[in-house]
Amino acid sequence: MDSSGDEATAGAAKTKKNPTAAAKGKAAGKGKAAGPKASAAAKESSLLKQKSPAEFFAENKNIAGFDNPGKSLYTTMRELVENALDSAESISELPDIEITIEEITKSKFNTMIGLVDRERVDEALYDDFESEKAREKRLAKEARFQETQAKNAALGKKVKEAPAVRGKGRGEAAFFKVTCKDNGRGMPHDDIPNMLGRVLSGTKYGLRQTRGKFGLGAKMALIWSKMSTGLPIEIKSSMKGQNYVSFCRLDIDIHKNVPHVHLHEKRENKTHWHGAEIQVIIEGNWTTHRSKILHYMRQMAVITPYAQFFFRFLSDAADKNLTIKFARRTDVMPPVPLQTKHHPSAVDLLLIKRLIAETTKQNLLQFLQHEFVNISKSHAERLIGEMGPDFSPKMTVKSLTSQQLVRIHQLFRQAKFDDPSGNCLSPAGEYNLRLGIIKELHPDMVATHASSPQVFEGHPFIVEAGISIGGKDVKQGLNIFRFANRIPLLFEQGADVITRTSIKRINWSSYKINQQQDKIGVFVSIVSTKIPFKGTGKEYIGDDITEISSAVKSALKQCCLQLKSKIVKKLQARERQDRKRNLNRYIPDVARAIMETLVEIADESPPKRPRYDKEDEELLEKIDSQEVTEMTFRDCLIQHVEQVDYEMALDYAMQSGVSEEPREAIYLNSLEGSYKFVDFQSPVFVFRFVP
Amino acid sequence: MLEKKRRAGVAPDVPASSSKKPRASAAASYAESLRSKLRPDASILTTLRSLAASASKSKAATNSLADHDPSADPISSYIVVADQDSASVTSRINRLVLGAARSILSGRGFSFAVPSRAASNQVYLPDLDRIVLLRRESARPFASVATARKATVTARVLSLVHAVLRRGIHVTKRDLFYTDVKLFGDQSQSDAVLDDVSCMLGCTRSSLHVVASEKGVVVGRLVFADDGDRIDCTRMGVGGKAIPPNIDRVSGIESDALFILLVEKDAAFMRLAEDRFYNRFPCIILTAKGQPDVATRLFLRRLKVELKLPVLALVDSDPYGLKILSVYMCGSKNMSYDSANLTTPDIKWLGVRPSDLDKYRVPEQCRLPMTDHDIKVGKELLEEDFVKQNEGWVKELETMLRTRQKAEIQALSSFGFQYLTEVYLPLKLQQQDWI
Repeated sequence: MDSSGDEATAGAAKTKKNPTAAAKGKAAGKGKAAGPKASAAAKESSLLKQKSPAEFFAENKNIAGFDNPGKSLYTTMRELVENALDSAESISELPDIEITIEEITKSKFNTMIGLVDRERVDEALYDDFESEKAREKRLAKEARFQETQAKNAALGKKVKEAPAVRGKGRGEAAFFKVTCKDNGRGMPHDDIPNMLGRVLSGTKYGLRQTRGKFGLGAKMALIWSKMSTGLPIEIKSSMKGQNYVSFCRLDIDIHKNVPHVHLHEKRENKTHWHGAEIQVIIEGNWTTHRSKILHYMRQMAVITPYAQFFFRFLSDAADKNLTIKFARRTDVMPPVPLQTKHHPSAVDLLLIKRLIAETTKQNLLQFLQHEFVNISKSHAERLIGEMGPDFSPKMTVKSLTSQQLVRIHQLFRQAKFDDPSGNCLSPAGEYNLRLGIIKELHPDMVATHASSPQVFEGHPFIVEAGISIGGKDVKQGLNIFRFANRIPLLFEQGADVITRTSIKRINWSSYKINQQQDKIGVFVSIVSTKIPFKGTGKEYIGDDITEISSAVKSALKQCCLQLKSKIVKKLQARERQDRKRNLNRYIPDVARAIMETLVEIADESPPKRPRYDKEDEELLEKIDSQEVTEMTFRDCLIQHVEQVDYEMALDYAMQSGVSEEPREAIYLNSLEGSYKFVDFQSPVFVFRFVP
Repeated sequence: MLEKKRRAGVAPDVPASSSKKPRASAAASYAESLRSKLRPDASILTTLRSLAASASKSKAATNSLADHDPSADPISSYIVVADQDSASVTSRINRLVLGAARSILSGRGFSFAVPSRAASNQVYLPDLDRIVLLRRESARPFASVATARKATVTARVLSLVHAVLRRGIHVTKRDLFYTDVKLFGDQSQSDAVLDDVSCMLGCTRSSLHVVASEKGVVVGRLVFADDGDRIDCTRMGVGGKAIPPNIDRVSGIESDALFILLVEKDAAFMRLAEDRFYNRFPCIILTAKGQPDVATRLFLRRLKVELKLPVLALVDSDPYGLKILSVYMCGSKNMSYDSANLTTPDIKWLGVRPSDLDKYRVPEQCRLPMTDHDIKVGKELLEEDFVKQNEGWVKELETMLRTRQKAEIQALSSFGFQYLTEVYLPLKLQQQDWI
């Protein structure tokens, strides 16, 4: 015991220069308390390790949506697309985005990195090695399958596809080259390495509505490429008016969180292209996440109908290749979200300190008045008065003690402030949402509604909702499309406020919508300066915030109300169409029933049968003489039904106005070239006047 | 003559048979001890005879009331149908069909005026002690989508009934349905329209010569002629004689019974029949195996009117037992238009009553807890006028709802399979324990 303690001290003494030795010493020595205090402290401080943000995210990549190769492929693509959209919108350019995912086979990948393909020598060494017994089993199974196949074919039944025989084991890693090209702002030549090669450095920090979640974006894709393939990313960029294209090939030093530039040069720009093109090679899984990626693209097209997406998937197998173009349907773009100041009820102590450090205002009064929203000058004076005798409007803001800051913070939390306005937000717009839905789903009916701005914990939010009925590629029942700050949310749908509201709190049947049978599309877009995401992946919004859930509910209800009147009208029209058919169906039965009885009455010999009115007697004579037959009754009834139907149709037309002509969807492409114009905005259309 | 011989043959020595029973539990022994309370059958018979005598006297009074009422009722206020011969029914149908035919030929389509048989249109009249149908007609035009189908079915049923009447035969409701399955779709539809037609024509369903299939059975001291064949209900074996669905076939009713025993269930009926209960205490035993059909109700009424015997009912101690009793007494909502012919007022509730459960110490395992639905039905019954009229019934029902327990007639079998016939019923009769 003693000796080991001595050894530890001895080790600790050496540590000042050699931290690894210290670690060893610790591992060996259990009696570290025996050592002198100074040396113990020294040892501890040396054990402290700095972790770069890049390292942190590399180790916790699931936070940013890089849980597995498949999800990583999806997240990489979406980060690139969202960056591209932001970039184009920031210069008010209609986004034009090309995404290419190219599958790279293992041998191709190996040649890329200069590795020679090696044949397997010792088969049994591998996980997917098939033992003799397993092979027998499989062959027997295949033989059985073929037998039934032949039998089925002989019987003329549909022949099933042979089930794909999958080897067990981890399977081959698949690699993909993801390329995303936009027509956005581009990046200044010299900033490119820092913008892409340094985690948690971004242009989007500050209080505003943004698409990005963590400020990771392309950088996380870079980290993933570094982890899975080790290949650098390639960036081409050009800004408006530049006569060159910057080309940069770089990767990231994860430990230092600094870019590592391989090549950085200027190239010729012949086409006057501006924007950015990022190309990254990563491990992924197309099979498992194909549908998610396509859903994402489709939903993105719904919420950004003013953008044009060109999506391609390329691989060696031609039948797997895919090219989809999501066409632009409007050239009205939502405004760029404005940066806004903080609302007093949404700040914490740390934020107040940071604001004070950054402010250019001298005294407390000016600070309160200018660094926050919803505090006017007189309001600021009243607040300062309320803070107590230690405070005065003229005191320098930088001299506030930490106790005083706590006091301000407390007051901010208790005092009442006006709600922030939603002016800083940039919702998709009812018009765009409606266009997007029509464009991508081709529904029979659609209704949209935008709520007025509301507030949750000092952050304004706007809920926009749309409901569609029918359409192509829509399954029966509820199809829920969720958007937060104009990006689609695809994962963790179950607990989301939108899902739960539409499933549990909307009584669809009261709006004449059949929750099981109808093809219902539910679209809800929430924009806010801060979306209250739940869960590490930021994939859903919790159901526990009453402000948001009631806003979602009322927006959906508004849509349902609009639809209800349309649906009722439709039902009436259908009923009218069915009437004649329904009535005519029963005519033969009635004619037969009446005729049978009449014949029986007429058959009775006159003395036996009771006396009837004159008209009845005449009728019976006509039956006897076959002047009136079953057909007569049929004809009369058919005429009567026609007559009634005609009257009803007139009634219906009087009530519902002129009957609807068959309509056709028409889209007028926008004019080429630039014009001066004035926009007249309405929730359902925009009128552009070109003088 | 005959009856005397039979009665003598089956007067069993009650105490003798009881002594052999083992006394298993306290409840059972108590139940057995009740057996000793039984007086000789002769004395019970005396009480029954006096009951029968008083019933036949009082019957005269009630009967005159029943006779008086339908005629005195202002016809305008509610619908009462009557038995009619086929000739008059045929001529009514003729008139309806001729009217419809002329309306069609004149290009106006056609429409039937059908009395509404909705639940809201049925009321219980305390004076008459039965449910009646208010006179309120609704049009059934062919030209409306809502009623086109019903109007067609009505026309078809009218023509079918016409054909049946003209040939002077009887058919069942099922027969009628099968003549045009494609149009009717479902027997309940043709059945409902058949009732509508009864109302339209103002005649009973039997007058249409359409009957339901046999359901009820009768056994006991009764002799009658079914379509001319003499039926002796004491010689019908254990199964009993099926009650003829067409009451017109029944004639020449004779009986030396002292009362009519109405049984809810087939199982209890079989026990009574097998033990030849009717020979020990001369009676007529009747069951409809659950909810009574029209034929059984008509038959019971016929017996009551012709024989002037008291009617005692043996039903389960649950809300449904009472509900069944109410159908016998006041009629059902579905057949309210014919309630005058279908109801038998003044049925005494003999058992099994909620108070009997404790009185006879029925063991806990034979009692069932009432379900929520039972309780709901029970509470609704408490609000019904026909229950309110009888104070004893209200008390029994309240007891049931308080204890939240129900029991079937078979619960008495826990004291032995024959306890019902050997102890329970004789004792009840001896004590005149009915309400």
